[in-house]
Amino acid sequence: MNLEGRRIVFLVLFILVSIIYSVRLFYMQVIDDRWMTRAAEVSQKRIDVKPPRGILLDRYGNKVVGNKTYYNLMFVEDIIKDLDTAALAKLLGLEYHEIGERFEEIRVSLDRKTRSKKTGNDTVVNDYRSYMPYAFMSELTAEEIAGIASELFYFPGFYEETVSMRDYPYPNGGHIFGYLNEIRPHELEKDRYFYKMGDFIGRAGLEREYEKELRGLKGTKFLITSARGKAVDNFADGKLDTFALQGPSLQLGLDIELQAYGEELMKNKLGCIVAIEPATGEILAMVSSPSFDPNQLVGSRNIRVNYPLLDTNKLLPLFNRGIQAEYPPGSILKLVQSLVGMQEGVITENTSFPCTKGLVGCHSHPQANSVSDALQYSCNPYFYFCVRRIIQQGKQPSIFRDAQVGLNVWENYMHSFGLGIKMETDIFGIRPGVIPNVAFYNNWYGEHRWAWSTIRSISIGQGEVKLTPLQMANIAVIMANSGWYYTPHFVKNIGENGFRSEFSIKHTTLVDSIHYSAVQEGMRRAVNEPGGTARRAIIEDIIVAGKTGTAQNPHGEDHSIFIAYAPFEKPKIAISVFIENAGFGGTWAAPIASLMIEKYLKGEVSDTIKERRILDANLIMK
Amino acid sequence: MSRNLNSVRSNWDWWLTSIILALMLLGLVNLYSAAYNPERTFLFDIRALYGKQIMWMGIGIFLGVVISLIDSEFIRKLTPAAFLVVTVLLVVVLFSRPIHGARSWLGFGSFGIQPSEFAKVTTALMLAFLIGQGRIKQITKKKVFQVLILVFGTMSLILAQNDTGTFLVFTAFFFVMYREGITFDPIILYFLNKLLGLRYKSTWVGVHFIPVLFGVIFFSIITLYFAESKHSFYFLPSIDVPGWAVLVTIMTVLGLCIAMLVNQLSTARTKRRVLSVVLISYLGSILLIGSVSFGYLQVLQSHQKDRIDLWLGKIEDKDGKDYNRNRALAAVGSGGFSGNGYQQAVLASPQSNHVPESETDFIFCVYAEEWGFMGSLLLVFLFTTLLIRLIVIAERQRSRFARVYAYSVAMIIFYHFAINIGMNVGLLPVIGIPLPFFSYGGSAMMAFSVMFFILLKLDSQRKDVLAT
Repeated sequence: MNLEGRRIVFLVLFILVSIIYSVRLFYMQVIDDRWMTRAAEVSQKRIDVKPPRGILLDRYGNKVVGNKTYYNLMFVEDIIKDLDTAALAKLLGLEYHEIGERFEEIRVSLDRKTRSKKTGNDTVVNDYRSYMPYAFMSELTAEEIAGIASELFYFPGFYEETVSMRDYPYPNGGHIFGYLNEIRPHELEKDRYFYKMGDFIGRAGLEREYEKELRGLKGTKFLITSARGKAVDNFADGKLDTFALQGPSLQLGLDIELQAYGEELMKNKLGCIVAIEPATGEILAMVSSPSFDPNQLVGSRNIRVNYPLLDTNKLLPLFNRGIQAEYPPGSILKLVQSLVGMQEGVITENTSFPCTKGLVGCHSHPQANSVSDALQYSCNPYFYFCVRRIIQQGKQPSIFRDAQVGLNVWENYMHSFGLGIKMETDIFGIRPGVIPNVAFYNNWYGEHRWAWSTIRSISIGQGEVKLTPLQMANIAVIMANSGWYYTPHFVKNIGENGFRSEFSIKHTTLVDSIHYSAVQEGMRRAVNEPGGTARRAIIEDIIVAGKTGTAQNPHGEDHSIFIAYAPFEKPKIAISVFIENAGFGGTWAAPIASLMIEKYLKGEVSDTIKERRILDANLIMK
Repeated sequence: MSRNLNSVRSNWDWWLTSIILALMLLGLVNLYSAAYNPERTFLFDIRALYGKQIMWMGIGIFLGVVISLIDSEFIRKLTPAAFLVVTVLLVVVLFSRPIHGARSWLGFGSFGIQPSEFAKVTTALMLAFLIGQGRIKQITKKKVFQVLILVFGTMSLILAQNDTGTFLVFTAFFFVMYREGITFDPIILYFLNKLLGLRYKSTWVGVHFIPVLFGVIFFSIITLYFAESKHSFYFLPSIDVPGWAVLVTIMTVLGLCIAMLVNQLSTARTKRRVLSVVLISYLGSILLIGSVSFGYLQVLQSHQKDRIDLWLGKIEDKDGKDYNRNRALAAVGSGGFSGNGYQQAVLASPQSNHVPESETDFIFCVYAEEWGFMGSLLLVFLFTTLLIRLIVIAERQRSRFARVYAYSVAMIIFYHFAINIGMNVGLLPVIGIPLPFFSYGGSAMMAFSVMFFILLKLDSQRKDVLAT
């Protein structure tokens, strides 16, 4: 037997294996880049750097929404050593047992249900990792952390981390600015690129509407991380990193002092003030009462406590009445009705109607011999006749068909005044109001089963007609401008780039501007001439033009309504005031409007008796 | 004595010495990177792994030098005593506290040694001692039994430690037996002739058991791959037939076909003989399929079964069970052609620590990631050269003792090299054994040093003995 020959088996084995390994190594290291990709996947990490949000300034450059640094108390379990639970509890102002409970709470919050592909059973997977940082306490203020941070030295494994959150220097304008809240899964789904779980997103108001601008540009850092996720080195010396860029600051048309004054005046009243600059459509103030301090909704800690309180309050403090409440406009709609009447040629500015109280109620006043008179006295029968002529123009033999034609005409006019349509302003949640049309009444009464006498209450802004306070203010804008308006909006400058282009579109009403002077005269007289309904709105050395409204309310006291603009010759402010269940429009809404106008135009109020009367009034229906 | 020393020096194999020193140096350089401790950058810092490794290396070389002063005949005579000591340690270690599930550490203070590493050396020596005993070339039944008892006895002690990797290394000795012409014939013939009533004088299987081993490995892998799978056939729609049953069926059909062919074609004189060969092969394969399937499905611990499944690609669990292997392969693969550069490993660096055990079993990852394909090729080349050199040395020995020992060393190194690198490049399942001179480990370092010095000493005195 030749045993020496068997060494060949060994040599062949050795050489074969080394060839196989060399080929395998060549394939893995040189040819196939799968492992290179896998290595990158394992070791490289992208870290998103979020900038602080853009800030908001008022029309004079006062910061109204800013950012403030808060602190999270973080911990990494693996680094914690010999934890003195009692000392920690004392430092954090907690009970001894709460420390353990908090650790447990964090652990449990990272439980995740998964369904096994093999067995189909649900199992709970825990994502808690003892080497990862978690927040033991979050959103601590600078004052709160100050006492804690200096002692953290004694608690290895605990450290502080800064977070940027909103800060509101003025406790006003909560409805306008909105608030931030943790992102919801469906929102996350829409923009996986920018957001991740636990991020804050604009939840209401301007924060929501301008989310894309305010959030800024996300920066990215590429790191080489260890198996435990710790950064070991910068990837490619940071050449691929990008910086985070804070969102542009938004300059608003808002006058924060006026807003604050309005909120002060509206204390203990339900309702709304909307003030607009007629020449630009910039909203100067939007007070919805009751209001809330936006600082109440900063951070999830506050939201958890305060949101339920605000949300369940019967007076609906979170409800932005300025854009979302649909109220009967009452007599202020007479301004629009008279303009439509003149444009349609069914009346002239000198048309006279008798005040026949039999058809529709009225108060005692001198005979209205012109449009201006009718508006000064707010004569109900006058507009009954006026609008009857608009609706029943006699173009069709059947009064039912005729009313349909008339109502269509009327509806078009209303839409041109921004009524019954959504005025797409830059704040979330706007309502269109209600301008009843043919389809509306057909649905209600049946086709050809209604005519003027059925729908007559629309003539004096009652019945089915509903407007938002923003639309009411916009009527004042149109009166001030003699027939045109820009869509009211808050933001006049996004960074340096001006405002959204849709707000530079001039909307013109279907009524020629020559007809406006009679109406404007009526408004002037309503405030400034004896017999006018809005005498309480008078201001020394400023001519205010206004119109009162008193909307009947089947549920209680009438609503007090007033719209106005001033100064009469060169209007700088148009305003609507709506006080729920406060009675006659001239009694409460008119003086509030005048105070607001004076405050805006002069910076201070001269008539302190008037002001005191308003501040002391409690008009909330008990 | 001086003549003797001169002869030792002139007959010393400097080739082998240089290759080993090169591997030691490369291993140390690599360990410095793999275990780099930024707080202890000094290479000889005894508190860092590289400092310790140097210490072990020093002790190993010191022991080696002492051994090389001993006459080779005396080494041979010392063998049974050394073997006995290590075997006692192998028994003692079974009562130690398990570390990572294996009872393989004997602790002395803060340091521990692994008797199983030394057992490789003493078993090699003992094997050489047994085979080299006596002057008769004839392999007797008694000698076969002695050898088998030695190897299987040591293997069962290792298995009792729950150290699968080292257990596998001991199968290296079968290759050595093969080279020495030890056959299993006496045992096989006993079964065939006495129990089955056949009349064989020798069997091919008993003599050429290494080629048979490759066949067995091949069949085993196929069996492992299919054992668990379920097959349903259109004629048996309601029954899931397990893979091992399908394999048995295929073998049966194949066996029957061959038997029928033999029956038709062969002459009457050889028919009986050939048919019995077919029958025995058939029974052998059925036995193999059965035992592999049974072992795989019933005996193996779940983590061992998972490792095989992951290796065969039957299951995928990149970030779970396959974490180590996946990270190791990513590290090796991301080295590219020329590597990331020394101490520039991204995945396998001690700072990022993506590859677990990167100082011991997976140390090749660090090397491959930092030195790339060029470095890896150099390492494969060095080990292959070493192995070939060992065979050359073995074949030039006049004494059977030295030759058997040299072959044992070659096969042990081959096993370590092939299994470790194979695992690191994904060709073999994860089996934890060190890469000689690279992986950190005191016992292995000392054992390998001593092992090589003994060989070098025996080789240097090859001309002093008469051929046996």
